[in-house]
Amino acid sequence: MSEHNPSLKRLAEMAEARPGLMSGLLMLFRRQESMDEEQLAAFLECDRGDLPRLALCRRPRPAPRFRRDIEEIAAYAGADPTRLAKLVRAAEVGEALRGTPAEVRRPPMLLAARDHEPPQVEAEQVAEDAEGAEDDSR
Amino acid sequence: MKCTQEEYNFHQRILGGDPVAFAELAERLYSDLVRETGIRARSRSTVTVEMDLIEEAVGQALLDYNDHPQRYDPEQASMKTYLVMAAYGDYLNLQSKEWRHLRRKAAPQPAKEGQSEGEREWEIADSRQDLEALLTRISAEELWPLVEEAFPDHADRQMVVLMMNGVRATHSYARVLGLSGPASDEQAREVKRVKDRIAKRLRRLGEAHDERA
Repeated sequence: MSEHNPSLKRLAEMAEARPGLMSGLLMLFRRQESMDEEQLAAFLECDRGDLPRLALCRRPRPAPRFRRDIEEIAAYAGADPTRLAKLVRAAEVGEALRGTPAEVRRPPMLLAARDHEPPQVEAEQVAEDAEGAEDDSR
Repeated sequence: MKCTQEEYNFHQRILGGDPVAFAELAERLYSDLVRETGIRARSRSTVTVEMDLIEEAVGQALLDYNDHPQRYDPEQASMKTYLVMAAYGDYLNLQSKEWRHLRRKAAPQPAKEGQSEGEREWEIADSRQDLEALLTRISAEELWPLVEEAFPDHADRQMVVLMMNGVRATHSYARVLGLSGPASDEQAREVKRVKDRIAKRLRRLGEAHDERA
C-alpha cells in the first residue's frame, strides 16, 4: 500500500461533474478551444502541474465578488488573473448555450453584462471577450 | 469541539464560500485520507483492499463535503475522522456495486437463438469467468475462507481480489507479482500464466464446493 501515490489530478477529474468547482469550466474551455493541458497551462500562464489545484477551486462568485475571487484563485494557482477571467466568461457562455448546469442557465447576454466592475481585471474587456466567444460558438 | 483549529478554519472558510479553501483542504488532506481510509478498510476486511477504489471513495467523500459542508458538525468529530468515515462508507458501496456487477455478469444467460447448449457452454468457459461463475454459486461471505484455504500464498490471494474486482490492467497484476519495469510481452505472458493457474484452481474450488453441496 505504501507504493500507492494518490494524485490530486484524479480528484480534479472527478470534480468535473461537480458544478460548483472550476474543474468543469476548465474542461469545457479546453473542449471549446480544442486545447490540451499543456496549451491550457500556457494560456493561463501557469504550470501544468498547478492545473489540478486550479480545478479544485470554487467557481468565482458573481459581482461584486467576481473580481476578487478571480484574483484569489489566480494567485493560488499561479495563473494570470485576466486570462483566468476570460476563461471563466467564455466557458460560462459555452455552458449557457449548452444549457448546463442548471444553476448557470441564463441568457448569454446577461452573463456577459453581469459584472460591471472597476476595470482592475479588465472587466469590460472580459465581457466583450465573452460576447465574442458567444458569437464564435454560434 | 472535536476538530483541530486548522480544520475548523477550513470549514468556516468553505461555509463562507472562500473560492480556494476547498482546493487547499484537498491538497492538505487528500493523501492522508487515502492512507487512513485504506488502513481502516484493511483492518475491517480479510480481503485485500483495492487502493484505486479507496482513492475514488475519498474523492467522492471530499467532493460531497464540498457540496454540503453544513452536514459536517465540528462538535461531533474531527474533520479527518468525518471524511474517513464517509470515504469508508463510499468504499463499501463501491465495492458492493462491483460485486453485484460481477454477479450479474456471471448469472446464467439464456441461450441465443440458434445456439446449441454446447456452444453456449464453450462461450462461457472461454470467457475465463471462473471466479464470477463461482460467485453465482457461493456467497461472497462463504467464498473468502475457501479462497484463503485454496490460495495460501498472499500474492495469489491478491491476484484473486483483483480478479474479483474485475481489474483488467496487466500492470496491476504485474505489481502484485513483483514484476517491475515497463510493460512487456514477457510481463504480460507471466501475468497470464499466473491468472490461468488461479482460474484453474478456482474452477476446481467450485467443483469441489458443488460436490460437497
